[in-house]
Amino acid sequence: MSEQSGSIEETIKKETRENPILIYGKGTKEAPRCGFTKETIQFFEKYGYPYQVIDVLNDMPKREALSKITNWPTLPKVFIGGEFYGDTDILDEMEKKGEVKPLLDRIFQKK
Amino acid sequence: MITQDALIGYVRTALPDDVVSVTDRTGTMDHFSIRVVSDGFKGKGLLDRHRLIYQALNEPMKDGRIHAVEIKALTQDESR
Repeated sequence: MSEQSGSIEETIKKETRENPILIYGKGTKEAPRCGFTKETIQFFEKYGYPYQVIDVLNDMPKREALSKITNWPTLPKVFIGGEFYGDTDILDEMEKKGEVKPLLDRIFQKK
Repeated sequence: MITQDALIGYVRTALPDDVVSVTDRTGTMDHFSIRVVSDGFKGKGLLDRHRLIYQALNEPMKDGRIHAVEIKALTQDESR
C-alpha cells in the first residue's frame, strides 16, 4: 500500500516538473466538469502559454495524495514551474498586482 | 446546504476577530463566496490565509454541506 502511494507521489512530481503550467482539475480542457476548473482554464487562455489539464475527478487516491502534498483540500490545484499556486482565488489576486505575467515569462524563458 | 450563520460560526473558530460576509453564488446554499477580514492574516501569504479558512471549514466541506467556496482573505488595513 505504501509502495503504491509512493508511486502516486512520484507521478505527481514528474507531472509538475514536466508541465510548466499544470492544472489538476475536474474534467478535461475541452470538457471541464466543474465551474472552477473552467474558470482556471479561461484564466490561462489569456496568457497564451501552453498549459496542461489533468483530470483527477474519479481518481480518489491521487486527489488525496495531492491534498496532502499541498495542504489544500479543493480542486482545481494549479502548479506553475513545479510550485503550488492554489487556485484562481490566489491567481486573480496575483494578477491584480501584476505578478502573473512576469512569473510566466520567467518560467517559460528558462525552458 | 448550510446556513450563513453556521458557516460564519465555523470561520470564527479559527479567526475570532474576523468580519465575514457570505454570498450564496447559486441560490442553493452550498456554493459560497466568502470575504473574511481579520488581522489573523497579518504576515501570512495568500496560500496560508486560504489554508486557515479551509481548515476552519473542514467539517462542513467534508460532509458535503459546502460544495464549493470562493475565498477572499484580507487584513483590516487591506480591506480599507
